[in-house]
Amino acid sequence: MTAVTETPAWIAEITMAELEKNPYPFYERLRREAPVAFVPALGLHIASTRAACQEIGSQSDIWDGVISPAGGRTFGHPNVLNANGPEHDELRGMVDPALQPSEVDRYVDKLVRPIAKRYVEAFENDGHADLVAQFCEPVSVRALGDLMGLQSVSSDKLREWFHKLNVSFTNAAVDENGEFANPDGFIPGDEARAEIRAVLDPLLDKWTVEPDDSALSHWLHDGMPEGQTRDREKIYPTVFVFLLGAMQEPGHAMASTIAGLWSRPEQFERVVDDPKLIRRAITESLRWTSPIWSAVARVNKVDTTVAGTFLPAGSVVMLSYGSANHDGNAYDAPSDYDLDRAPVPHMAFGAGKHGCAGTYFASEVCRIGLEELFETIPNLERDETKGIDFWGWGFRGPVELHANWEV
Amino acid sequence: MTGHTVRLQTLGKVTSCRSDQSLLDAYLRENVWLPHGCTQGTCGSCKLKVLDGEVDHGDAPAFTLTPEEREQGITLACQATPRSDLLVEPLAEVSDDGVVRHPLRDLTGSVVVLEDIARDTRRVVVELTEAMPFNAGQYAELRVPGTGVWRQYSMANPPSETHRLEFHVRRTPGGVATDGWVFASLAVGDAVDVRGPLGVFGISRPQEEPAILIAGGTGLAPMKSMVLHALAEGLVPELYLYHGGRTEADLYDGDLFRALDAEHPHFHYRPCLSEQQWDGASGMVTDVVLEDFATCKGMSAYLCGPPAMVEAAGKVLKRRRMAPRLVFKEEFTDAADLAAAGGPLATAS
Ligand code: HEM
Ligand code: FES
Repeated sequence: MTAVTETPAWIAEITMAELEKNPYPFYERLRREAPVAFVPALGLHIASTRAACQEIGSQSDIWDGVISPAGGRTFGHPNVLNANGPEHDELRGMVDPALQPSEVDRYVDKLVRPIAKRYVEAFENDGHADLVAQFCEPVSVRALGDLMGLQSVSSDKLREWFHKLNVSFTNAAVDENGEFANPDGFIPGDEARAEIRAVLDPLLDKWTVEPDDSALSHWLHDGMPEGQTRDREKIYPTVFVFLLGAMQEPGHAMASTIAGLWSRPEQFERVVDDPKLIRRAITESLRWTSPIWSAVARVNKVDTTVAGTFLPAGSVVMLSYGSANHDGNAYDAPSDYDLDRAPVPHMAFGAGKHGCAGTYFASEVCRIGLEELFETIPNLERDETKGIDFWGWGFRGPVELHANWEV
Repeated sequence: MTGHTVRLQTLGKVTSCRSDQSLLDAYLRENVWLPHGCTQGTCGSCKLKVLDGEVDHGDAPAFTLTPEEREQGITLACQATPRSDLLVEPLAEVSDDGVVRHPLRDLTGSVVVLEDIARDTRRVVVELTEAMPFNAGQYAELRVPGTGVWRQYSMANPPSETHRLEFHVRRTPGGVATDGWVFASLAVGDAVDVRGPLGVFGISRPQEEPAILIAGGTGLAPMKSMVLHALAEGLVPELYLYHGGRTEADLYDGDLFRALDAEHPHFHYRPCLSEQQWDGASGMVTDVVLEDFATCKGMSAYLCGPPAMVEAAGKVLKRRRMAPRLVFKEEFTDAADLAAAGGPLATAS
């Protein structure tokens, strides 16, 4: 691999641990010096500027969706992230109907508001909470879990699954031969996958003979000839995609919105006072700390050059949307959370044919969740005695978020 | 004066607006409801997006309408005048909330009552030649004679009385409308120009939540209209009225509210004095509210008074966990700022 020999030391020496702790300094330099760079620790290229991510993400005729090696190892094939052409169309045809905005509008308030109310009621009289564990994550998983038909799976189990799948998915480090540097890192994901299948198989059996309105029941039946259901092996990889990203990310987005607002107390106050600002607060948070920070990739079908880097056909490029959203060419003072910044669209939901299918659903879950939280506890305050640590490079958000309030 | 055609995108409503008339004024006169609050360019609730055509932003201050917003084609309906035919869309939702709105109109009347009711506070009652239907909590503008200046005062009478409007006016030393008029030359029998109704503050529909009304000084005016209306129509299950002043000399209409308190088991009147010990509640009105309620969950509130009081009350209600969307505020706009901006002065002047 010629690219390896050309790699500057600061790129060659970057480690996963550093990226997971704080990817921003490394990426700031990438954007400045090497917008599309080969990163040996990952065995692939990274696109870090807004322009490069936009170009690669949206040119679906040149770039196919592809999953990172660790992602492929975690989910299996074919999943919606790495399927292309008719196979991708079929999978999107399976997941999209329940997530169309007009359809989401029909059910989302009835689905999410009672869930959010229930979780906030559980701690509203305590005077303190870790909002990540007690609110953002459970609301996020319960909303999608109920939509998918997983009412019988507890929120804690769903949270455990996405945490384990996350560990595997982001176990991206490779050695000089391109082999996984830390094979044991896949054990949690393998355990979760086995458990998921044990829980879901009986449910899929039931939906095969008794279809209902749950999303997974539709995945089995929609678009299939009368009397047939979709092969489970075609469904499971995408189920795993949902049980990781789609379960986890609205929770990350809600938590990052609160953390961002806490960095601007007067903006926090305004949003609590005027719930109509919650949508804008979420949008800025998605830019500020993109939940899917650097987890999806593309591969080119033909030789091409992006941002001055020649990429022979077959080059895998990871799209670091979390970095694109901090591009100083598009955003002033990008590391500041600012509700009032000029509305330059962010890339937190990706681009092109593989762009996020759950954009509207996720945004609505976050909006309704935060509406209920701020309405029920308008005197919510940051617990100043505790720090706020963000973690993650593939997926990123606050680890804990301690709040207190007068009761 | 030439007129321009203004079309509202989603509602499809078309009105004609003169080039010296605000877009808000044109619509309200045709009884097409647009969101608004202060009509003075300070609250920002009347923002419109201009989709086609050109407006003059008028006196819109930069703190309400930022340069970025201007660039995006946003304007204040209460300040903007048309320079061409327009296609516009309000930024705030224009939802049908079931409240019947009344058109803005110009009226004349004469002063029938002028009395001192509290320290530096006068009651002015104007008998109109024509009815001015309004909702409890709304305000009207009175013209200071011999000037082009209009002042805003909330109606204190219930909306059932459409011909006789009661206003409470507090003196501002040197104020054009007060030292220069209401507290100087104004006399019973004088003619007055009135323009109204305006504003969105108030109670006009039945509500499930108990309501806490908190008034500072002449902030009592809209509350009086709301209390009389709510009690007459049975709109609110439990109604608390707090009126704050420094000493007893600042309170007024106490006999009326005490009688209502005695008559209606679900109405509670709590006058509060911040600088006088007496047998009633002592302390800042907001502190008294804080003491009186262990929780305000599930309740709503209406606040009217000087900005500092409204802000303090908002904080107290949050501490007591009232949902912010159920807190409704009407502030006296700062007279000095507006005088400097050349705009009309507010309730307090
Ligand atoms: C705030 C929360 C979320 C964020 C930030 C987010 C972000 C993203 C991003 C960046 C991608 C990759 C786009 C690309 O390759 O260019 C993606 C893909 C996807 N997302 Fe989301 N997502 C969120 C929530 C959800 C939810 C709740 C669902 C489902 C209910 C969902 C369903 C999907 C699907 C199916 C894909 C794969 C699309 C494809 O490859 O064709 N997402 N998401
Ligand atoms: S700014 Fe126009 S109504 Fe307040």
